[in-house]
This record gives sequence, C-alpha cells and structure tokens, in this order.
Amino acid sequence: MSSISMLSMEDQIALENQLTAFLQKSESNWSAIVDKGGNLFVQSGDTGDLDLSILCALAAGSFAATHELAKRLGETDFSALYQEGRSMSILMMALEHECLLIVVFSLQTNIGLVRFYAQQLTRLINEGLGAAYQSSLTAEPLQVEGDFDGSERSVFS
Amino acid sequence: MAFINYSRREIQLKIVYYGCALCGKTTNLISLHQRINSNQKGELVSLATDADRTLFFDFLSLSTKTLPGFNTRFQLYTVPGQPVYNTTRQLVLKGVDGIVFVVDSHWDKMAENVESFSNLQDNLIQNHLTLATIPYVLQYNKRDLPNAAPIHYLEYTFNNRATKVLSYEAVASKGDGILETLNGVARLLLAKYSKSAGANSNVDVTAAGKAAAASTT
Repeated sequence: MSSISMLSMEDQIALENQLTAFLQKSESNWSAIVDKGGNLFVQSGDTGDLDLSILCALAAGSFAATHELAKRLGETDFSALYQEGRSMSILMMALEHECLLIVVFSLQTNIGLVRFYAQQLTRLINEGLGAAYQSSLTAEPLQVEGDFDGSERSVFS
Repeated sequence: MAFINYSRREIQLKIVYYGCALCGKTTNLISLHQRINSNQKGELVSLATDADRTLFFDFLSLSTKTLPGFNTRFQLYTVPGQPVYNTTRQLVLKGVDGIVFVVDSHWDKMAENVESFSNLQDNLIQNHLTLATIPYVLQYNKRDLPNAAPIHYLEYTFNNRATKVLSYEAVASKGDGILETLNGVARLLLAKYSKSAGANSNVDVTAAGKAAAASTT
C-alpha cells in the first residue's frame, strides 16, 4: 500500500469533517491523521499549547516501535495502541496508506466509547484516504518560481 | 516522504542525521536549536538515556517561507548511533526525504564511520531507498581535533563515487558548519519544487553535488 504525498483542499476538508464529527460523538479532545513518518495530515480539536509536530513525531515513533515489538513476538496483526493516563489518554489506530489515527481524550469519556466510534471512523477515513491517494497519483507535481538550489542561498540563518 | 498540504499551504520534509555513535548528531541539533531564530523553530525533543545517549531519536521542527506561498516545515531527526539500536534506526528512516551523514573526523573512528555508512545503505534498502535516489550531504565533524583525518582522506573514503555529493567541514560543539550543512541539504530538497530546476530532484542533486564537491577543499 503506497503512501500519500499530497492532500487537496477538498480531501482535507472531508477528512477534517469526519474527525470533528467523531470528536463530538466520542467526546474526545483531539484527533489527527498522521503518516508513519510523523507528518501531520489533518487534525481537529484542541490540545492547548502542545507542539503538534512533536506530538505527531512521538506518536508515529511510538506506534512503529510497538508494532516492531509485536512482530518480534510473533504477532502478524497490529492495529491499535492505547495509553491510559490519569487525566488524558491516547488511542492510536492503524489506517491504510501507511497512516495512523491518533485520538487524545480525557476522563470525560471512556476507552470503550472512543474505540467503538474510532473503529467506525477508520472505515470512513480509509475510504477518504483511498480517494486522496488516487487524486495524488494524477495531480501535477508542485512547481513554484525560484531557484532554491542556488549555492549561496540560505534557507536558515 | 515529502507531504504537501494544499489547504494549509504547507510542505513537510523529513531530514535524518545519521552516523556512528558519538559522532555529533545530537550536538548538531542542539547547536542548531541554539542558533536558529525562535520564530522558525520548535522545541528540541530528545529521547535519551540518563547518560545523554540517544535511545530512540532527537527531534527538531524548523519552518521557513523560502518557497513562495508555502510554509516549509523541516522535521529534523537523529538516529541512535550505537550498533545495538539498528532496528530503531530503520524505524526513524521511515519516510525520510534527505540525509545528513555525520562523519567523526577522529582517526580512531574511521572503522566505525565506514561501518555506519554501510549500515545506512543497508537500512535504506529496507525502506526501498538507495543513496542514488535520496538527497544527502556529508558533514566532516570535529575538525578541531588535533588528530583529525585530512579532508582528502575523508573525501576519498566517503565521497569517492561517480556522483559526488556536497560535503561540509564542521565543529558542531562550537556551531561551526552546522547551518551550512543544514542549508545544503535543505536546498537539495527544495530544488525539487523549483520550476527552473526541473521536477527530477535526483538529477539536480547530482549536478549540485558535482559542482560543490569540485569546490570543496
């Protein structure tokens, strides 16, 4: 299954709406779709001052490490990872196209409810990701004006 | 793999600092974090042991507006250099867009450097990549050591290929050469999106590498 290299505005809005509806039903705080490299695709909800880049990088790394551990224990299927916290908990679920669903929720709800709606959501999101993947195959590559390869040009200073 | 979000007008690119144990990968990120403007950087995260040895990875997110109309977010990762953590290195390489291979200039570290370079190539294959298809630069770190190997020796050992790549001298602990290294790999990645540079970044990387290598002393 190939990974997705771009997301159009339409795909973004459709996926975001699905996450928002899921947050309302499951009473979760925040939800996101990231790829297994840690790139943030879509997110909905509130995480306060948390740096989302860090959150996504750690989630992708954590899921990958536990997946590898499960494989070494002989498990052939690894679809979800749950961390139960005192006030905030995290559920991660594998999606198609090398993506990952991350859900952060508080004591206001419970893992049973979150997982129930998350399983429904993954089916919907997989369809959306499939459509996004198909459109990324035929999309024109991004090209903008400018010579970024100039040897003297500084990207960071 | 690079990810473009048209709705947020954002491009996300992943750069991995690779090299043998204690070659200065984490020091690169620490020094970059100290020097780069606060509006361009996020928090530096280190998953390390109590002895400050990298256990999983270090992570630093940097943003730039270099590409007109887009915010480009470079996600910088290091790998743990110790041989025992090879599975972790394979995981960190998932979705990599560009690599900085950090070479420890100390004579006594040459065997470890060579082994790490070979390990990088093996791990890229695990991720369906090769050095011929992924943009990368070399950084010869710790140039201030009295017993540092000469540059021509390092070039012969690590950059002796049909297509030479950009290489930089550095003293990461003092911040020397670290921005040049990052800018070098960042430009290679951004060139892919330049109309004037064409769509095939690998061709451009090769051309840039040849030009730069010729001017490297």
